[in-house]
Amino acid sequence: MKSEDRDQLLDDLLEGDISEADFLRLEAEMIVDEEARGAYYNRLKLQSGLEKEAQAAAGAGASNSALRRKGSFDPFLLAAVGTLLLLVAVLAFKIKQDSAPQVAKEPVATGFGVIAELSAASWGNEVRISRGDLVPGKELHLESGVVRIELFNGVVIFLAGESEFALVSDREFRLVKGESQIRASGLDEDFTLTTPVGVVTGKGVFSVATTGSQTSVRMDQGAGIWNPTVNGKRSEQGTKLSGFETITGSVDGSLEQDVAPLLSNRDWEKELRDDRTERIRLWEKSRERLKKDQRLLVYFSMDESISDSSTRLQDLSVKKSDGGIIRAERSANRWSDAAAALDFTPTGSRVRLDIPGDHKSLTLMCWVKIDSLDRLYNSLFLTDGHELHEPHWQIVNDGRLFFSVRARQEKGSPDKHIAFSPSIWKPTDAGKWMHIATVFDGSAETITHYVNGEAVSIDQIPEELQPDKVTIGAASIGNWSDPRYRKDPEFVVRNLNGAIDEFAIFSEALDSGEVRKLYESGKL
Amino acid sequence: MENESKQDVEIVSLLTEHQSAIRFYIASLLPGEVRAADVAQQANLTIWDKRGDFELGTNFKAWSFSIARYEVLNFRKREARDARLQFSDELEEIISGEIASHIDDIDERHEALRECMKKLKQSDRDLIHHRYFEVSSLADYAEKVGRSAAGLKVSLHRLRKALAQCIEKRIDGKGLRT
Repeated sequence: MKSEDRDQLLDDLLEGDISEADFLRLEAEMIVDEEARGAYYNRLKLQSGLEKEAQAAAGAGASNSALRRKGSFDPFLLAAVGTLLLLVAVLAFKIKQDSAPQVAKEPVATGFGVIAELSAASWGNEVRISRGDLVPGKELHLESGVVRIELFNGVVIFLAGESEFALVSDREFRLVKGESQIRASGLDEDFTLTTPVGVVTGKGVFSVATTGSQTSVRMDQGAGIWNPTVNGKRSEQGTKLSGFETITGSVDGSLEQDVAPLLSNRDWEKELRDDRTERIRLWEKSRERLKKDQRLLVYFSMDESISDSSTRLQDLSVKKSDGGIIRAERSANRWSDAAAALDFTPTGSRVRLDIPGDHKSLTLMCWVKIDSLDRLYNSLFLTDGHELHEPHWQIVNDGRLFFSVRARQEKGSPDKHIAFSPSIWKPTDAGKWMHIATVFDGSAETITHYVNGEAVSIDQIPEELQPDKVTIGAASIGNWSDPRYRKDPEFVVRNLNGAIDEFAIFSEALDSGEVRKLYESGKL
Repeated sequence: MENESKQDVEIVSLLTEHQSAIRFYIASLLPGEVRAADVAQQANLTIWDKRGDFELGTNFKAWSFSIARYEVLNFRKREARDARLQFSDELEEIISGEIASHIDDIDERHEALRECMKKLKQSDRDLIHHRYFEVSSLADYAEKVGRSAAGLKVSLHRLRKALAQCIEKRIDGKGLRT
């Protein structure tokens, strides 16, 4: 990396304005290059110097605290007034902290629509977008595959790779390159489709393809007006388009009517449907293979059609440890098949099971759709109570995954190491299916959390809290059964506000490749 | 009692002496985080609360840095921060290991910065003042001075670049003279 590029990235980093890809590039450089780290430290010193100078410029009279940056803490001032001031500052901060009212922030989401469906989609610039994600406002590069975007105002946009586009607003779509169809029939106002050589405005269904220097458009329904863009200026000279009329505009403003060489007349819905059918077929095939895996302690598909009873959950693994469904209701699974998942929202919902044996390691995985994390602890899989050697797998209300195996009998001092992941869920993820896996490796003494096939955290268990085995016994999916200690009622209601459609426990530690494969073979 | 207050006075003086280093260390682990100063404040509090654990005469810097690191982790957990823009453990270890040897020139660089800033236009100084001191957003300021926020961002980047170069020159020049 050239030092100039590096300095630009360091500047972006300190301004909190760096892309994930650039961040990773810069970090890799900083790990190996002492000079890069030196440059980073010097930039930090510059920043701190600028903060001090700005503060100094505000003058000694700047006691107008409303204008001051929060948390500004001047070491020079401190040195000058010494002991007393520090003690006062410490005390004042403490008081401020204790008395500060906790104002709940209303969650905010950004985007005009969501990715409703995608097939074999890969994105450029290291962007990762999956089904149910909000569409970012910036320009996106779809390298391959087909995508269906649903805007919140009812407009539907199909796109095929390779294409470059941006959702400018809920009434404007910019296609820089590629092929697309926009269904904007029900809007009360016109929809605007911008391409590099011209703009179409109207109501109806637009089929469009552009190379950047040439654009073909057809109105499959409704009517619109084509205005060419020449030298960056939109011409007022419009051409009316309706009823399957096609045009092809070029970069010089010229227009050919009744030809549309760039349009491929694809059946967007069929492509997505066929892809989905194929993915379900592959998933079912991999499920058949997985059923025979000898390492499985239990494997449930929550599909009602698989079990012969509405209250019994058939274990698909060779162990045949069936579960009992209590209160949980059937709901749609991640493929939208009815009655193929279990919804644990009704209070008291759970699946009861009993898993015998001692295990050195453990891998837990499930496909889960979380509607909200309104309990302090939201259960995935908890053994009854929390006895010695037993695992607990749940999600804290701030979105962090929690996994622990109790390692000590004595109470008082820490009796287990809790492995927390970073937050993996936020309110805008409500209703989105995700694959979660946690691996407890009893040999390496590590706990690794995975989300959608990728490791999000790894914990080394401290020596004094390493359990020598794992036992499960009586346990619940989606809730906690604790007949013995009910000291704190706040912790008792732990049923998951959401649904699970596939759940498995292995008696061994799966490696990252296997976890990835589990996700890939069953992903939407 | 007398010993306790003597220890307190000593701790306050150590804390004051190492304040820049602690803040610098925390900032290095939280790049681009505007609340890094709050984390430093919290670390000061924790250091104060735990002052009984510190043995006078041992390495205060190492002890306070371990508390600072802990407060950074705590902050990330509490804020459930997006882990994507967080340095890897590997890099954090490297930074923690070497940062103490990079703080000696903080004052010298600050002095150089002060000189370099004298050459700036008033409007540039105002912009810096706004960016590093005021609470209102850059967009509001942009409106006030009749420029675009994106334009101001570019200006700020150029200013920092120019100042960084000016500082290097001054420091190098000094080196030549000695």
